[in-house]
Parts: sequence; C-alpha cells; structure tokens
Amino acid sequence: MATVGESRITYDARGLAEPDAAVPMISTIEGEKAEFDAKELTTRQINLELRWLLYEQRVKDVTVLNPSAKHSLGVGILTRCRLTFVGSLGYFGLGLIDGPEVHVGGRVGWSVCENMMSGVVVIDGNAGSLTGAAIRGGDLVVKGQVGARTGIDQKGGTIIVLGSAGSMTGFMMQRGRMIILGDVGPGLGDSMYDGTIYVGGKVKALGIDCVPGEWTDADSELVERKFGIYGLGSPPELQKFVCGKQLYNYDVLEPSERKLVL
Amino acid sequence: MSTAERHIQIDAETLAGHRFPYQEDIALVEDVDLLAATPGGDINWLEDVGLLEEEGVPAVFDRYSNSFLKIYFPIPGGREDEIARKVLVKHLQSGNSYGIQLKAKHAKFPQPELGPWVEESKTVGTDWKAPVLEGWEKPAGH
Repeated sequence: MATVGESRITYDARGLAEPDAAVPMISTIEGEKAEFDAKELTTRQINLELRWLLYEQRVKDVTVLNPSAKHSLGVGILTRCRLTFVGSLGYFGLGLIDGPEVHVGGRVGWSVCENMMSGVVVIDGNAGSLTGAAIRGGDLVVKGQVGARTGIDQKGGTIIVLGSAGSMTGFMMQRGRMIILGDVGPGLGDSMYDGTIYVGGKVKALGIDCVPGEWTDADSELVERKFGIYGLGSPPELQKFVCGKQLYNYDVLEPSERKLVL
Repeated sequence: MSTAERHIQIDAETLAGHRFPYQEDIALVEDVDLLAATPGGDINWLEDVGLLEEEGVPAVFDRYSNSFLKIYFPIPGGREDEIARKVLVKHLQSGNSYGIQLKAKHAKFPQPELGPWVEESKTVGTDWKAPVLEGWEKPAGH
C-alpha cells in the first residue's frame, strides 16, 4: 500500500534530528556563484551550507536544487545576495532575512518571510497562511494565492499577491503596504493600526476599523513603481483600505510601545 | 519612569556616549546612495523610514538599536525623508549603530558584522560562548 501523509516523509522536516553541526561543503562554486543539491540534506545542513557559502566563501548567488518543501530553509540570512530555490519550501521559510533577493520556483508553506527586515522575495506559486507575518521591510511577491492572516502584524514592507487572499488578511497591520489583485476573504484589515491595503477583487467583509481610503497620487506612484519593478504590466483598478482610527490610541502610548511599530 | 531613564533607553548618542559628525553636518550624508544601499529595484526597506521627531528634535529611528538618531543640522524643505534615510544609512554603514557593536560579543551564529549595508564586512559570531557570571554556580540538580 502506498504511504500517504506524514508517513511519506523520510527526513526530519523540523531539523531536530540533526545534531551534527558540520557544514556539508558539497556545493559547486564558480566565482561568486554556487549551486548544491539539497535532496539528501537536513534542514540544518542546508542552512549551514548557505551560511558557509555566503559568509565564509563570499559567494553572492546561490542556487539550491531539490529543497523538497523542507521547513525553515533560508532563515536568518543577513547579507545582500541572490538565492534561488528550485522547488518548494515548507513552513517558516526565509524568516528573519535582511538583504537577500530570493526566487522560489515553487510553493511555500505557512509564515514565509516572517519578520523579514529587508530584501526581495518572489514566489512563483501559492503561499500558506500567515504569509509575511510581522514583516518589517522589503518586498514579498506571491504570484499565486495566499492563505489566511496574510500580513498579520505587518510593521512595514510591501506584500504583493497576484491571486486571492484568505480571511483576516492584514489583521493588526501596523505599517507597510499590501497589494492583493484577487479577492479577499472576510475580516480584511481587522484591528489594523496603520498601513495601506489595496485590493483588486472583491472583499467579502471588512474587519473592525478598516475603512475605504482616499486614493492619492502617492498611491498611484507606489503601485505603478512596484508593478514596473516586478514586470507585472499595467496595474488594474484597485480599492484602497486604511485604518479608520476609531481604535487608534498612539497619542497615549509609552515611548517603548511607540518604538515597536517604527 | 523618569525623563532621564527614558532618554537613556531610546537615544542613539546616549548609547554611544557621543554625537556622530553626520548628525551635525549635511555634507557628510549627501553622497549616500540610497538605491545602492538597498536590495531590489527601489529603496526597499527604507520606504518605511522617514523623518520623525524625538524630544523636540528631528530624528530618524534606528530599528537595529531600537533608538532614535537625532539630526541637528537644518534639513532643506521637501527633503525630510531623504535626509533622514541618508543619516540612518550612514550610521549603519559606519558601524556605529549600538546593535552592531553588540554583535562581536553576543552574536550566536556567524553573520556579517555590518549586515547588508556594507559588502565584504568581517564575519562575527563564529566563536560565541555563553557568558558566565562570576561566582555563580548552577543550582543543585541542574
């Protein structure tokens, strides 16, 4: 009988069964470019190889073959570089990055680019829920659909989704921008403090304190610039949503709380 | 919390113990190339950085040290955000952000000291050891 579900997984997707911190050093390096096959490597080994290439070998452009949807790949990369994953990533991929320009040639699981500080991530397929959770800066482009709570707690950056988004998109958004070309589920922008959400399709229901905003020249400039950078053609007509500021209490925030959203 | 305590917690120059020249002279930041300093086809993360005010003084927020960096020179009208971004990038590229200074001792895994702001900066965090408090011993049973 064919194996199904988790029983098909022949590796430890969480990387917990890899106590060996030895860098595999299996890459083919040519000048500033490198490539390696991740098929037989664990999560920890893949990330060790990436850091070794980028920080010690001073490689600027890495291609990872067969990422096989393993979790937590490419996390904590803190330098300018180009990364290409030929295939899909599991959950929590590319979290905490600061600087890389990444192309994922497949799908990604939950929480891709969680807490991303800067950089560019382009995903060819779909992304799971919590896409760009707590993102603080940079561009995240998903060419497929995204799940629920995309951009939850977003504190900066721009999330662009060419498909549709699930429920509670932009929940507790604090800063930044989100451009969703497809439809959006219920609870859009629920309890958002600030930031801007642009939607091209239908919005099932707005969340608490999320209201339509007035379109300005700055909105047109932003959308056209991002569409130009990512070769997305002419932008469609978009609706703009912002915080109604009925729940807005920044004036009485303590200084330490104020900094959390800067 | 007293005013003095609050000031110590959020002011970059207090963390460093001194002001930096680029806080006082616009000429020192005019040549900062914001596009070159950021990933992608525009100014990327700097889009979310703008001129703010701290304790009545124009300032830019440095998220890498959780502190404000005050700007003391006159800022030309219409260039507020641009100048704030240039001061911040100069601060980061100079290695003066307090968070960067902590890296050498406290980074737990290898990473470039000057992050994504400067190419070829040295790698820190290759030999992290847990700090030991002098005279402290593990409780029995641990």
